[in-house]
Amino acid sequence: MPATAENTIPSSATTARPAFAITRKRTRFLGLTLDECIQAFFGGNALVALIVLALIMVFLFREGAAFFGQNQRNLTVYRQAGLEYIDHIRRQETAHTALTRRLYDLRLAAFTQLTQNQRLSPADANARLAALDDFSVRFSDAVMPIRGLVSDLGEVAAAIKTRFNVNEDKTTQRAQLLAEGRAAEAAQVVIEPVDFAAELQPILDTLPLYRETNAAFAAGLETLLTAAPSLAQIEPGLDARMDEFKRQTRACIATFPEIERKLAAWDYAQPVPLTASLSAFIFGRDWLTASFWQDWYGIIPLFTGSLLVSIVALLIAVPLGVGAAIYVNQVATPREQRLIKPAIEFISAFPSVVLGFFGIAVLGELLRRFSQAGWVHWVPGFPIIERLNALTAGCLLALISIPTIFTLAEDALNNVPRALKEASCALGASRLQTIVKIITPAALSGIISAILLGFGRVIGETMIVLLCAGNRIAIPDFTSGPAALTQPVHTMTGIIAQEMGEVVRGGIHYRALFVVGIALFLLSLAINYAAQKIITRYRIAE
Amino acid sequence: MTLPPPRTPKIENRESKIAPPAPVRTLIEITGLDFYYSEKKALDDIHLRLPEKRVTAFIGPSGCGKSTLLRCLNRMNDLIDGTAIRRGSIKINGIDINRPDVDPIELRKRVGMVFQKSNPFPKSIYENIAYGLRIQGINTKSRLDEVVERSLRGAALWDEVKDRLHESGLGLSGGQQQRLCIARALAVGPEIILMDEPCSALDPIATAKIEELIHELKRRYTLIIVTHSMQQAARCSDFTAFFYLGRLIEHADTRTIFMSPSNPQTEAYVSGRFG
Repeated sequence: MPATAENTIPSSATTARPAFAITRKRTRFLGLTLDECIQAFFGGNALVALIVLALIMVFLFREGAAFFGQNQRNLTVYRQAGLEYIDHIRRQETAHTALTRRLYDLRLAAFTQLTQNQRLSPADANARLAALDDFSVRFSDAVMPIRGLVSDLGEVAAAIKTRFNVNEDKTTQRAQLLAEGRAAEAAQVVIEPVDFAAELQPILDTLPLYRETNAAFAAGLETLLTAAPSLAQIEPGLDARMDEFKRQTRACIATFPEIERKLAAWDYAQPVPLTASLSAFIFGRDWLTASFWQDWYGIIPLFTGSLLVSIVALLIAVPLGVGAAIYVNQVATPREQRLIKPAIEFISAFPSVVLGFFGIAVLGELLRRFSQAGWVHWVPGFPIIERLNALTAGCLLALISIPTIFTLAEDALNNVPRALKEASCALGASRLQTIVKIITPAALSGIISAILLGFGRVIGETMIVLLCAGNRIAIPDFTSGPAALTQPVHTMTGIIAQEMGEVVRGGIHYRALFVVGIALFLLSLAINYAAQKIITRYRIAE
Repeated sequence: MTLPPPRTPKIENRESKIAPPAPVRTLIEITGLDFYYSEKKALDDIHLRLPEKRVTAFIGPSGCGKSTLLRCLNRMNDLIDGTAIRRGSIKINGIDINRPDVDPIELRKRVGMVFQKSNPFPKSIYENIAYGLRIQGINTKSRLDEVVERSLRGAALWDEVKDRLHESGLGLSGGQQQRLCIARALAVGPEIILMDEPCSALDPIATAKIEELIHELKRRYTLIIVTHSMQQAARCSDFTAFFYLGRLIEHADTRTIFMSPSNPQTEAYVSGRFG
């Protein structure tokens, strides 16, 4: 304050600057002060982010929602063209094929037994198995009449469906022409509506024939089973498997009357509800596109694939990530800390496509070679048949999620008050006891949320699974237990990346991919939400 | 194992301090101790003999090294990187506690500690106390029940919490939490209890309860209490040691320190002229 100002106070001169000056003229820009401008800038940025997010969600849901209507039509055609009817019969054939495969497995086991343990030459072994081979051939041939029936009826049904699809295309064409104002050309597009009832009659008329064929099939299988060769001389264990096979075959035969009932009750005109379209997506066990027969959009194989790969990844990443976090936070010297922390965090600097490439070029082959070594054959699923499978992808995904899990778990451990550690030590607990009984439980909510976020990271990862998971769209065979981990799978992220480029925009396949995207989005949302909830709910009082 | 008897009526008389005490045995003997945090000398040539079953208060301004010395007595400083005793020794019952064959874990079972801020584990009241036994492999329910009750009675907390032993220890009030921490320390059966400013975060009523408890405890235990409050030192200790800038300035019975200190710095501090 200038010294002269003091003098002005008593005189209270109106022109003089007041001594206690606390007002200031602010420069204004568009009526806003500088502070308000800065505030508006950052507020605006946040708003843009929110709007973009909202737009993305609206787009995602708008594109996806139409899928269910389209899928409902898709399923309606499936029924009306009689494909559903034939698939009922086809299921019998599929079951029989699965049984035949078991028989082949049995033969392979018997052959291995004979050549390896009883040291017979392959020729001798084959001779010993002649009876079994004869049985297998006859068993496998028993299905021929049914297969023939399915094949004949299938052609008829496929033809109906094709005609229906042609009509659909024509309708679209006409609508397009009309929209362009070319009414004359539109009138030339003739649509002959498909009379489903009449077209289906030949198929439905075969029901008595089917009944006959089916009865013969069942009787044939039964006779074959009674004459099945015994494997007891080769190995008692194999005979037990043969009994199991017989039991399964009889169980299969027992389902035949049920199929007949279904066929008799089947009605092409029965409407397909929208819920059926929804459940066909959520519980559908097939993802089958561009098929000449019927397209299926079921998320289960993709979901199980994603889940399987994530489980492998977490099985590896959780012990490593959490273990490393505990070590770094509780045990390591400051020097080690300075070395380990950046090293682990550096992993996330790898572009995932590079890791994926590494998986294809090195890891897949390395794992397969390793699995072929004699001393690891006890591991379920070893030796690995496919180079690219859930295990290969899971190993690399583990690498991707370790930095996330490590960093967040380390934070959680760091937040455990030092006082708890001191209290535990002061009571005579060793360092290990303190870590196991006090520090880790106190940090548990943070560690769990770290694992969940790692899971979110893994399930959303695309490049690695696309390159390394093997991309076979099938539900892994969980009957083989943990060996399912070494099977090739396809994932929700991978399928979008792989197929989005080649689908017709607006088509059912295109929309199905969007619904997969929505499912992925909801899953990630749920995981992140759960992680947030856990960390706030179980945070220990400071 | 020395544990307090079931709650006895409080008969401790303040005046008993001046009655001639029974010959006191020295339990802790500190000779020529130099202690460093990295290169910073925190304790300089400390010589101190602490008597058994008496309360000794460490007083002095912040940063004078009183807490550091306290934490040397159960080797809690081992947990801090870069700390070292460069010279001198601490003997408890004639054993140098920094000898390589001394297990700090065994030491800490005999020398319990109560911290400035109450720090119960995020477990139930029962488990907080049982923890010290569980880590020793004692898991028998009857034994745990017995020790939990005895320790809580010893810390004058039993009547307040006996109906909610399985609720979280964090649900107790500040003073109760601090007594829970004392009970937890008692459960392991120590002979010495170190208290690092046990009342600094407590209100006067809770402080009074803890001080009352200190009087009870000294019948069985040797107590060393670091405090910022000179009134507290005067109220509950038998002996007082005054530290300043890492040095022990004066050590005598409490009455002498407060009534007629021989060192002018002590006098300046206890009369409130600095600190």
